[in-house]
Amino acid sequence: MAEVCLTGITKRFGKDVALDDVTMTIPDGSFVVLLGPTGAGKTTTLRMVSGLDAPDQGRITIGGHNMVGLTPAQRDVAMVFQQYSLYPHMTVRQNLEFPLKSPILRTPQADIDRKVAEIAEILQISSKLDNKATALSGGEMQRVSIGRALVRNPSVYLMDEPLSSLDAKLRADLRLELKSIQADSGATLLYVTHDQIEAMTMATHVGVLDKGRLVQFGSPREIYENPVSIYAASRLGQPRINVLPADIFGGAPSGAASIGLRPEQIVQGEGEESLVQRVEHLGDQTRLHLTCKSHDIITVTDAHTELKPGDIVRIRPRNPFYFDATGARLA
Amino acid sequence: MTDTPIDKAAQATPEPLARRIRGLSDRSIAWIFVAPTIFLLLAVNIFPLIWTIRLSFTDYRVNRPNREVEWVGLRNYERILTDPDVWATMQATAHFLIWTIVLQVLIGFALAYLINKKFRGNDLWTTIIVFPMMLSPAVVGNFWTFLYQPQIGLFNYVIAFFTGADPASFSMIGDVHLAPWAIVIADTWMWTPFVMLICLAGLRSIPDSIYEAAECDRASKWRQFWTITVPMVLPFLMLAVLFRGIENFKMFDLVVQLTGGGPGNTTTLTSIDLKREAFEKWRTGYSSAYAVILFVTVFGLASIYVKALNKVKER
Repeated sequence: MAEVCLTGITKRFGKDVALDDVTMTIPDGSFVVLLGPTGAGKTTTLRMVSGLDAPDQGRITIGGHNMVGLTPAQRDVAMVFQQYSLYPHMTVRQNLEFPLKSPILRTPQADIDRKVAEIAEILQISSKLDNKATALSGGEMQRVSIGRALVRNPSVYLMDEPLSSLDAKLRADLRLELKSIQADSGATLLYVTHDQIEAMTMATHVGVLDKGRLVQFGSPREIYENPVSIYAASRLGQPRINVLPADIFGGAPSGAASIGLRPEQIVQGEGEESLVQRVEHLGDQTRLHLTCKSHDIITVTDAHTELKPGDIVRIRPRNPFYFDATGARLA
Repeated sequence: MTDTPIDKAAQATPEPLARRIRGLSDRSIAWIFVAPTIFLLLAVNIFPLIWTIRLSFTDYRVNRPNREVEWVGLRNYERILTDPDVWATMQATAHFLIWTIVLQVLIGFALAYLINKKFRGNDLWTTIIVFPMMLSPAVVGNFWTFLYQPQIGLFNYVIAFFTGADPASFSMIGDVHLAPWAIVIADTWMWTPFVMLICLAGLRSIPDSIYEAAECDRASKWRQFWTITVPMVLPFLMLAVLFRGIENFKMFDLVVQLTGGGPGNTTTLTSIDLKREAFEKWRTGYSSAYAVILFVTVFGLASIYVKALNKVKER
């Protein structure tokens, strides 16, 4: 396991800038989640670290060693691909064995068998070991693809949306499983997703990418509680942060263009009048869709609320975020 | 009974279109569509086959239609299978078949592997390489006779250039030992591109991401080649071998034009021999038996092969 450092990484594909001067340090044994919408540069970052693509500028070190010009094999990285990339002519077992059967490793067959069985158990694919890789469902393929990385003990694991095609229950199971594997083994893991629950539950660090730039890097709590911009603030939190004109409640500092309110930053029962548009009972919580001075606000209220559409609720902000006209946070 | 909702729904469901229009069932419509094909197949394939099998038990000669036809039982088959000349043609065919397939697979795969690399103008090279395949076999046979010319032929000149031998000292077509190789070389020149195209289709069907995964799994290029490229192209390669095998088993035009079956009988392939028996010596009964034997051989070999092919695909 090792620390991974990216310094000033820039990558262009033709005229498109995929990564723009990205600098970040992935500490040894950390679980770093890269968050951002499609096209933000998450996958490109993974491919830079893996060595499948070379950056135009900047350097990458793994465990203090310069990685420029080294192949993925020399970098000793294990990667889970978004499109699975299983070996279609092999069985599940052969797929899982493949990385261990590398001639340089000379792993004894008994060790291989034990490792494969162990990983298959964790990923709940033991019964499918002798199936052909192409005869699996999307979720099963994805698990085999994760397993192919986990059988190894590389210096860094790279995972590209590995849970995206699993059903909700399996995804929740595997989130816990991946987190505990990583915590137990002390592995360094770089993980790409656009699912904020995965980011919040698993990450020790979150990197928020926006159009190829790393806009914020820190613990999930830090990014949630102290976002640097509207963009970073909107990455985490459900329901999403409400962004309204700054003057709507009064008391905005000078230079503020908008105010950001997470549900817990909205006090109900006092302040401005707002109209209840819709009430969503989710079981453990209830979401209120409000309009305040013709602006939509979504917040959370008591699970057993008696409110119904047409009611009036008074709301006021508490410790809100203020942003300037460019979307950057005001101190 | 007819009042239940299900019955009502059943009654409300419109009948199939065909029945409403002409009073024909879907099944009869299907038969009407298929019938012309079935008739054609019976007329041009099945009937001649059965007729040939029937003739193979007689001494019928098509150039003497008024002669009494005698039923000879298995005598034609016996004569063919015990004739050393027939076995010699079989041997020539086997030599031709095996070597053309071996060479075409090796060279075709190698070319496809190289062409599949990303380099400037590889599409142009593909077109150039595929060119021989577009020519008529008779034309190819004809101009290889010029290439093989001891005095003026380019082939002899090139061989002489590299070995230092006298170009006029050997004749590819005239020599009993070289002639079987002359036809192998000409056929390989013509049909290797075909094998290459099929291999190329196989190679292009392997997504880059699989190689990337293997790269991350620390497989060397050598291991990637043997564990990914070869197994994934194998079904395509086997298909190419099947096509080439069937084609070359009945090889006629190119070889007739190039060597005419000579010198002696060294390049007389079975199909050439068969044609002489049937349409030069007019031994129709005998050649029918000959044709049946060849048919059973090809059919048997091809069936075994297709089974193996399917097994490879299932893996």
